[in-house]
Amino acid sequence: MEHRPIHLDESPIRFEEWRRRLPNWLQRFLPSGGGSHEDHHGKGMFGFTVFLLSESIIFLSFIFTYVVLRLNTTNWLPPGISGPELSTLVIINTVVLLSSSFVIQPAENALKRNQLSKFRWLWLITIAMGIYFLIGLLIEWKNLDFKLTTGLVGSTFYLLTGFHGLHVLAGVVLQIIMLIRSFIPGNYNQTHFGTSATTLFWHFVDVVWVFLFSLLYLWRA
Amino acid sequence: MTHEFSEAIAEDREPLDNWRQYFRFSTDHKVIGVQYMVMTFIFFLIGGLLAMIIRAELLTPESNLVDRPLYNGLFTMHGTIMIFLWIIPFNAGLSNYLVPLMIGARDMAFPLLNAISFWILPPAGILLISSFLLPNGTAQAGWWSYPPVSLQFPPGQLINGEFIWIVSLILIGISSIMGAVNFVTTIFWMRSPGMTFFRMPVFVWSVFSAQLLQLINLPALTGALILLLFDLAFGTQFFKPEEGGDPIIYQHLFWFYSHPAVYIMALPAFGIIAEILPAFSRNPLFGYRSVAIASLGIAVVSIFVWVHHMFTSATPGWMRMTFMFTSMLVSIPTGVKAFAWTATIWKSKLHLETPMLFAMGAAAMFIFGGVTGVMLAATPFDIHVNNTYFVVGHFHYIVFNTITMAIFAAIYFWFPKITGRMYAEGWGKLHFWLTFIPANITFFSMHPLGLQGMLRRVSSYDPRYQGWNVIASLAAFLLGVSTLPFIANIVGSWLYGPRAVDNPWHATGLEWTTSSPPPRDNFAEIPIVTRPPYDYGDPKYSVIKNSNNGE
Amino acid sequence: MFRFLEYLLIAGYIAVLLVISHWIGQQAYSWMPLQATAEAKKVDDLFSFLVSIGAFILLGLVGMMLYSVLFFRASKEDYSEGHPSRGDVRLEILWTATPTLLVLWIAFQSFNIYQQLNILGLGQIVHLHLPLESHSVALASLGASPANAAIVSDVPKPASETIDVFAKQWEWSFRYPNNLTSNELHLKVNRNIRLNLHAQDVIHGFYVPEFRLKQDIIPKRDIDIVLTPTRTGKYKLKDSQFSGTYFALMEADVYVESVEAYNQWLTQTASEPTAIKNQAVAENIQVAKTLFKSGWYTVAPDQPAVANERKVSNDT
Repeated sequence: MEHRPIHLDESPIRFEEWRRRLPNWLQRFLPSGGGSHEDHHGKGMFGFTVFLLSESIIFLSFIFTYVVLRLNTTNWLPPGISGPELSTLVIINTVVLLSSSFVIQPAENALKRNQLSKFRWLWLITIAMGIYFLIGLLIEWKNLDFKLTTGLVGSTFYLLTGFHGLHVLAGVVLQIIMLIRSFIPGNYNQTHFGTSATTLFWHFVDVVWVFLFSLLYLWRA
Repeated sequence: MTHEFSEAIAEDREPLDNWRQYFRFSTDHKVIGVQYMVMTFIFFLIGGLLAMIIRAELLTPESNLVDRPLYNGLFTMHGTIMIFLWIIPFNAGLSNYLVPLMIGARDMAFPLLNAISFWILPPAGILLISSFLLPNGTAQAGWWSYPPVSLQFPPGQLINGEFIWIVSLILIGISSIMGAVNFVTTIFWMRSPGMTFFRMPVFVWSVFSAQLLQLINLPALTGALILLLFDLAFGTQFFKPEEGGDPIIYQHLFWFYSHPAVYIMALPAFGIIAEILPAFSRNPLFGYRSVAIASLGIAVVSIFVWVHHMFTSATPGWMRMTFMFTSMLVSIPTGVKAFAWTATIWKSKLHLETPMLFAMGAAAMFIFGGVTGVMLAATPFDIHVNNTYFVVGHFHYIVFNTITMAIFAAIYFWFPKITGRMYAEGWGKLHFWLTFIPANITFFSMHPLGLQGMLRRVSSYDPRYQGWNVIASLAAFLLGVSTLPFIANIVGSWLYGPRAVDNPWHATGLEWTTSSPPPRDNFAEIPIVTRPPYDYGDPKYSVIKNSNNGE
Repeated sequence: MFRFLEYLLIAGYIAVLLVISHWIGQQAYSWMPLQATAEAKKVDDLFSFLVSIGAFILLGLVGMMLYSVLFFRASKEDYSEGHPSRGDVRLEILWTATPTLLVLWIAFQSFNIYQQLNILGLGQIVHLHLPLESHSVALASLGASPANAAIVSDVPKPASETIDVFAKQWEWSFRYPNNLTSNELHLKVNRNIRLNLHAQDVIHGFYVPEFRLKQDIIPKRDIDIVLTPTRTGKYKLKDSQFSGTYFALMEADVYVESVEAYNQWLTQTASEPTAIKNQAVAENIQVAKTLFKSGWYTVAPDQPAVANERKVSNDT
């Protein structure tokens, strides 16, 4: 395959010049016209990022539904129901989930510097934090005074937290797979696409939780 | 002797022997492309059969052929199959085949993901069709499946036609999103050296725009379907008015995807026309850059027009006016394309082979469909004809008379490249006339019916509507018959047709620089692009052919 | 760029097209049903305008394509280039700017006519509305707080009377101001009337082709439509939004008549209760006469009510 430099850019917006002015980490996502051989990460992370943008639209559609229903309903909580509670359990769960982003990132960085042992330990802690969140979610569900079918509050709450929880589960599963693969000799010598994508996915899951947390628990009836 | 497209050398007429590859799991984009195109054509025939039954029922004003629930199931499944199992995946298949070749790549960015995208579809499609066998039948609420009516199923039965419809569509949606990620990444990352954005063929621009739309808008439909599924099967109340839910939310989420969906279907068709017209008129595409930018422009504007499907729904006046304005705006980039096509064939050297006939027919009929579209954007007029046959006539002018005709054009145009064989030109021309004339008669007839107030989705109607209905039905039967010469031609030529040369049409484009069919890795060497597209002045393409010139 | 003769030909072509499209636009009136409301005339004017412009574009472009097909054919062996031009910036600007102006013109005309049609939509979708309140209370609260009037942009034109319209699977019924219930809609000619639309089960649609007005009816929402019938006669009200199995049978007769005839009907029918003929129920009861029977499930239509009763209570 040829490693030719970029040819004349006939684009009216001179895309190539703009691209070169961007910071390095952003340039990774925007390829040059012809494909550079060096960024082996390039298309994988680009594709995965694009996929995450799509996923966020699904969440957006659920959030849109929740917000519109809530704004247009006078009695959001059925009589006798107190709705989602901002309990200690929920607060601790949130803290655990959000700080796990700050554990997974150093793990990923360690892998890039080939510090396999450090990577594995930090990665394992992240998995534990994820599982903690999931168990906390299930306990919270069990203790609530409303079900999926209890009015609009039930429909929206369980759908949003359940769909998010599914993504947390998926993230944990991906992390476990990556951890197992780290025991295959030479697995991470050439590409870290698997762990990079899993890390990005985990950050995505956390950002979504920030929105859901605010909309479900901080928005009082 | 008229010039030969192919070298009909006797010993090269061996029958097709590598057909088994199309039934296996392959990550070669060319195999996957063919798998998509053949599978979706089968669904096209199934959907068409349903249409024949519908038109047979509508020959008479009374409901006397099928009972009402079955009729409702028929038009629901007809629409669903044609959109989600014919046009959208056929376009995905054609794009799959052509895009890597057109940009000088060896395959798509993610070949394994590509194969998985395809293999989700046959089970999803079979699942959908199998709902005909359920005791209470298929989904029966139209391809929109509006709640609350779509939620009215016998209580106590979890697995019903609507449930299967939703699950099937969610699966198809997952396949499409995977495909969209693949296409957008491929076009961004895998172009060969020198293939800058403004040297890409318009077809690639169209696919790029369409797949961006899939990425941004399809997840809204997925969300709507999940919410509908929960309401149907798990007792939630998102769309149930008597429990405080709001069915209009469903309409917003549904149309937020389903309007761009029509551009996801139409943009590749516009791209096909933009490839074929230059080749058969020997002119560069007029205003290439405008056409390329217009493809993106159409995609962007189409994200903001969805409420024009809800002009008679519970939408406030300011919303109707805003979306009326944006809906009219989308006609501007579309018009740019139509003018560019007309200018391309002006003062040209036309060759009217089958691909060109279909492409020009599609372009001409698109003008009509587009004009009625702008009319429908005018809210006061739309209020009169919404949910009538005027709308049915309009959108069939787009999905059949424009898009499906463009698809036929594409099949004939790239058939020699894909199969290495040449089709029979005479049968192709017969297919064209047998399609073009009845298509116009059938769908034109629907416009006066709609103006006079005949509603859509009815199996019985006021006797004064019968005249146009009979005309439409008879022409529709002819349309059904028209697929026969096509199938005979394609199947026969694929199996036994004469060998085709690399570039039978003397067309520009990287796909024509490799053999017919291309080798596994597409190109012996990755091509380096130095010239703009549609270079019909280049001596390599600008030839006067004599009878033994092979290329 | 062009020689004078070519400009002349283009001008001539455009002139011919203008004449023909104007004529086609005039024919468009005859493609529509009778005009039975004040609103219908305006909609037909808009339609004629749209048809004229559409015909101009269609004939113009298709005419050029036809000309090309007839006069620009190449010989079979000739694959040389037609002409080298790749584009023309001035032309492309022209054919982007002209449609933009055309579209703005069409949008402006349509906007004008919409404003003149008295179709009352709902409040903004995020506006806090009270779904269970009756319509009159909601209106009163609008009047009481002028600040709120700005939020709801569709202010209804005052109408002389209100008739309640009830849609359910698969029957229409109407309640008149004197509490009479009937399955026929009677309207006074040349008087504007407010129709208060209610749907019981699924989304239905109020549509009379001769009126040119259509409005979906959403269960549990307050939706009004205001119209002025201008032509006496008998028309058909149809359900326009797909509502299930017997959707095609959900029709009602609409009578537009003089004030005297209207009052006469009102008093006459008040004293003669009759059973409503419900087509959906009739078809549901008997065995289907179709060639193919699926036997698939259908929601059972309600038994027909007794019509022309004077109901004391306010519920459906």
